[in-house]
Amino acid sequence: MLIINCPYCGERDQSEFSNGGQAHVARPSDPEKLNDKEWSEYVFVRSNPKGIFFERWVHSHGCRKWFNAVRNTATDEILKIYKLNEKPPSLDEFTNNLKTPSGEPELGSGNFTVKK
Amino acid sequence: MKELYSLRGLDVFQKDLHQIILRGKGDEKFKKIINKETSLSLPPENLKITQNDKFLLAKHSFDQWNLFYLDRKEHKEVLKMVSNFNSHEEILASDYSYGQVYFEISGKDKNYYLNKLTHFDFRIKKFPNLSMAQTLVAKIDCSIYHLNDKFIITCNCSLEEYFKERLLDAINL
Amino acid sequence: MSSINNTKSFHLISSQKVSFTFDGKKITGFKGDTIASALLRNNINLVGRSFKYHRPRGIYTCGIEEPNALVQIISEHNEPNARATVKRIYEGMIVESQNRWPSLKMDIGAVNNLLSPIFSAGFYYKTFMGPKGFWKKIYEPIIRKTAGLGKPPKEFRSKSTHHHHNVDVVIVGGGISGLIAALKFIDTNYDVLIIEQDSFLGGTLNNSKKIKEINGLDTIEWIKKTEDLISKSKNIKILKDTTVSSYNYSNHLIALEDKAVGSLPPNYKPELVLHKIRTQHTILANGYIERILSFRNNDLPGVMLAGSFEKFIHRYGVVPETNPIIFTNNSSTFSLLKSLVELNCKPSAYVDNREENSIEKSTLDYLKNNNILFYTGAEVEGCDGRNIIREAFIRHKGNIIKLKTNMLCVSGGINPDVNLFTQSKGLIKWDDNLFTFKPENAFQNTIVIGSASGNFNFQKLNDEIKNKLNFLKGVNDTKIEIISNVENDYNISEIWDIKPEKESLWSKSFIDIQNDVTVKDLRQAITEGFDRIEHLKRFTTNSMGTDQGKISSINSLGIVSKILNKSVEEVGTTIYRPPFAPLSFSAIAGRNTYEFYDPKRKTPIHSWHIDNNAVFEDVGQWKRPWYFKNKKGETMHQAVQRESKQLRESAGILDGSTLGKIEVKGKDALEFMNLMYTNAFTKMKPMTSRYVLMLGEDGMIKDDGIVSKINDQHFIATTTTGGAPKVLADMEEYAQTEWPNLEVYMNSITEQFSTFNISGPKSRAIMRKVFSNIDFSNEKFPFMTFNNFKYLDTEVRIMRASFTGELGYEIYIPPKYALELWKKIFHSGKNLGLVPYGTETMHLLRAEKGYIVVGQDTDGTVTPIDLNLNWMIGKNKKDFIGKRSLSRFDTAREDRKQLVGILPLDKNKKILEGQHILEINKLPKKVETPIEYLGHVTSSYHSPNLKHFVAMALVKGGKKLMGKKVYVSDPSKSETIPVEIVNPVFLDPKNKRLLS
Repeated sequence: MLIINCPYCGERDQSEFSNGGQAHVARPSDPEKLNDKEWSEYVFVRSNPKGIFFERWVHSHGCRKWFNAVRNTATDEILKIYKLNEKPPSLDEFTNNLKTPSGEPELGSGNFTVKK
Repeated sequence: MKELYSLRGLDVFQKDLHQIILRGKGDEKFKKIINKETSLSLPPENLKITQNDKFLLAKHSFDQWNLFYLDRKEHKEVLKMVSNFNSHEEILASDYSYGQVYFEISGKDKNYYLNKLTHFDFRIKKFPNLSMAQTLVAKIDCSIYHLNDKFIITCNCSLEEYFKERLLDAINL
Repeated sequence: MSSINNTKSFHLISSQKVSFTFDGKKITGFKGDTIASALLRNNINLVGRSFKYHRPRGIYTCGIEEPNALVQIISEHNEPNARATVKRIYEGMIVESQNRWPSLKMDIGAVNNLLSPIFSAGFYYKTFMGPKGFWKKIYEPIIRKTAGLGKPPKEFRSKSTHHHHNVDVVIVGGGISGLIAALKFIDTNYDVLIIEQDSFLGGTLNNSKKIKEINGLDTIEWIKKTEDLISKSKNIKILKDTTVSSYNYSNHLIALEDKAVGSLPPNYKPELVLHKIRTQHTILANGYIERILSFRNNDLPGVMLAGSFEKFIHRYGVVPETNPIIFTNNSSTFSLLKSLVELNCKPSAYVDNREENSIEKSTLDYLKNNNILFYTGAEVEGCDGRNIIREAFIRHKGNIIKLKTNMLCVSGGINPDVNLFTQSKGLIKWDDNLFTFKPENAFQNTIVIGSASGNFNFQKLNDEIKNKLNFLKGVNDTKIEIISNVENDYNISEIWDIKPEKESLWSKSFIDIQNDVTVKDLRQAITEGFDRIEHLKRFTTNSMGTDQGKISSINSLGIVSKILNKSVEEVGTTIYRPPFAPLSFSAIAGRNTYEFYDPKRKTPIHSWHIDNNAVFEDVGQWKRPWYFKNKKGETMHQAVQRESKQLRESAGILDGSTLGKIEVKGKDALEFMNLMYTNAFTKMKPMTSRYVLMLGEDGMIKDDGIVSKINDQHFIATTTTGGAPKVLADMEEYAQTEWPNLEVYMNSITEQFSTFNISGPKSRAIMRKVFSNIDFSNEKFPFMTFNNFKYLDTEVRIMRASFTGELGYEIYIPPKYALELWKKIFHSGKNLGLVPYGTETMHLLRAEKGYIVVGQDTDGTVTPIDLNLNWMIGKNKKDFIGKRSLSRFDTAREDRKQLVGILPLDKNKKILEGQHILEINKLPKKVETPIEYLGHVTSSYHSPNLKHFVAMALVKGGKKLMGKKVYVSDPSKSETIPVEIVNPVFLDPKNKRLLS
């Protein structure tokens, strides 16, 4: 169970929040101009990486405000939280100090407990 | 005001209050309109409360406020106020008076009992006097207002019985 | 064999006697005894039968790590698999042993032991492969009867509760390290929670005489004084009888408190409390666990861990056996030796695997001075006995020495308890001197201290804790001076399993005593290729019991590393997962069961509904009247037919308070509404309403409702009962994330207005009687208009709308005034035939009219075009949510499933919802190839007004099939029902009634 720092309400339990998937997927301003493939990319396709992920959260049982978060999907660490109108941080800010419990590989399970 | 439960360390009252939810930008104009109707200034930051002898104003987030009447009024007076606010196109005011129920909880063990129903951190360093929070209590959306030694907890009126039953259950066990 | 009481250690037990029953026999112990200590005091050592082989088993440990002594507590709702070594007795407690039949001493299942060659590793996977059907009918019932642990508990309503804590520091374990850490926080600004699994503090200080004095006080005195100091500090709380079972991310701990310790809680109080704790820092001071050694028949009753034996002596004041043999490979057993000698109980032999030169001089001197038979560089090869150990065989310098004994105390070394640390995602590292894993890198704000960190030296404790807690501002300085009775340093020789001298079916060297896994099973599994530790675990079930292999999982790594000729580090360990110790489902569920399973929402009219015999239906969390039982014996069908008929003849009223209502306002409200809904609102006149649809971006219908326009800046939208939270959330989402440039705000006003739907030919007359000052004529109050009216000291909003196809009105009133108005309407409508109706009648009436219900006639794959609702799409609008998807190739297909009406050709035929639409009139007896079907029935009701079934269906290319004869399946027979595909509007297609 995570603690999420709502930019408007402060640190709260994860149970008050809902995850909104990948962040920074803007709704096309003129959908009619897109062909079927381009439009379906927007409607159906989202990324789901292992590691650093920019995603959306909403404080659904609190202030009902949306915000963005940078989370390491391998460890669940929330590395940064920023408001919708704030500039997204650069990916480089995180890749260098990626902390995983066991220096696990980029793909595959993180099930290691013994330090080698 | 109705006493629901009273035991050593905990007192629960149910109250009748009038409440208006306000939405808007919070800019100078908004400030003026609020001040004109209530003589209140806006709370300085999110989750803070300002009050005078008639009203209490809580800031829920950057575009949402909650106005409580501290005294009883006829409903039409509240509706008049709502309509005054709504005459400005940049404000949405909704009357919440009877759509919500209000519980006043006090006593030295109130945090202990409430923490049987919610994860919320009631410690004074996290939830100081004259602040508010929207959170889950007994799995339902509630707003909690910290006024001196008391908490006012509000939830939807359809959940009144459920909330009281949960509260009683938590107190008994 | 015989036990004696250690009267000197009665600081933990008063002399009060307590009686309970074990397998029907009355046993007397002392207050404070666990079931295990009371049984040992009464010389009972056989307490259970093993999981697979039904071998006799005794008490192996003295704590939470117990693999064997699992019992069923009959007096606690048959609580199964309780550890006899943890559970304290109380007067009248009823305990039974498990997994034996017909009795503990005469167990028929024990024949499994002789069949053991077929029960080897992977037995279940290999054996029960066929023939088909055998698993369900033969194998599973037999396995269920003979294998397994306790029986399921009795059905009962638990009163277990949950409790949340928010603190700065949690100290897990109230032993010496935990207490020293706690002293650092006395009267500081930190909120501290100490969690102790026992009923008292002190941990291992209560278990032995290793420490003589702390700060000049006897250890027990020091614990008392320290507890006193801690209790006086307002910022520190102690939870006793509480075991931390999980350590999750964000320093979130789950701990279980047992309230039935030493007495049953009163029946109106919880038996268990699940604590959910959020903390800034977690200090793990949860100590160590002693491990076993694998030798022949190391599972016999009478074999016990040495540290546990000593714990029984000091903690519970019972010496389980006066002259046991001690078998060790490390220095921790010296204090047991001393404890026994000081009580005039001489061990019959001391077998140390270490060579003489690595054994502490003090130990050797003590053995010699007290004239104790001892062997160095020796090992116990095995032991024999039937229901209790009788002989032990010692291998010393190549010889086997047979010794008679009643008990064998074993120590294979001690391990820091790293379970919680690894749950927290901390990394552990193998220590080549201590032959164990130690915590290395913490992943969270976790500090591990004392023996849990691998520090087994008391003298170093204070400095260690000081150094590790130094970074916390404002903690106290502590001075701890310890005088010990034993050597401070710990050493150990490496030994995991011992080669058996003789082989027989009976002789087994166990590695997992609870799950009956032997060393041979490990070898066999590796031979078969399961050489990865995670695979090995699953194949052999090693360490998969309720004890999670607490006393043996490190041994299995040692054994595997030797077989594979790899280092233990390379072998690695399996993941430690929560829970640390078993916890009851009732504790996890807490109060969120039965009436509290889901919050219940009730409308202001609820009490009236109950008084008028409403039968309720759950719609989301709402309780809605389903139908009203007019008189005794009226069936649902009869009630619904009556309500539906009466409404079309005179009038009906429905409590629609549960409908979602959203107020939308702002400079850009019009543009926002145009984007959110398919409909066009620009040309809509103020104070009028419209039936609306909301789509997802995929073009599928998400919700419907009515939007009322006050002006271009102010709208009120209604939603379906179930869709209300989602629609508001979606509006907020789009307003915040996609169109922040639009100035628009929305509030849920669902609860601020109670809603009544009055419809039927007499509804106008009734409205006139209730609101005599309002003009309800068609001219002044046409269809789909609304207005606000003063009412008492409040306002009502009345809208002319209908979901039944009849003339109808919707009344919106603040809940405080709702019940009174409802009663008034009833009073006024009495003579005009006003009938209250429920959701079922509502569904029936709308189906007669061909109106859809989102979620019944749609399922997230249906577009407005599929439902012939093209007229609701604002085609001239540049954009709205889902618009682009309506022209996607798949959404624009002509052979999509489309909504049609279904009319049975034989008017007496009954059509059921969910049935298939087929092109064949008879289903084959045996289906060889899949039968093609055209679609399915989404709604079907018997219409009392038309006197036949009316049904709607989603049918492939349905729009082009009007008038076609097809068939509807009937689940009770292979015959199908011939039907005609028709327009779904069965009643009043010209809306004469609606607009009357």
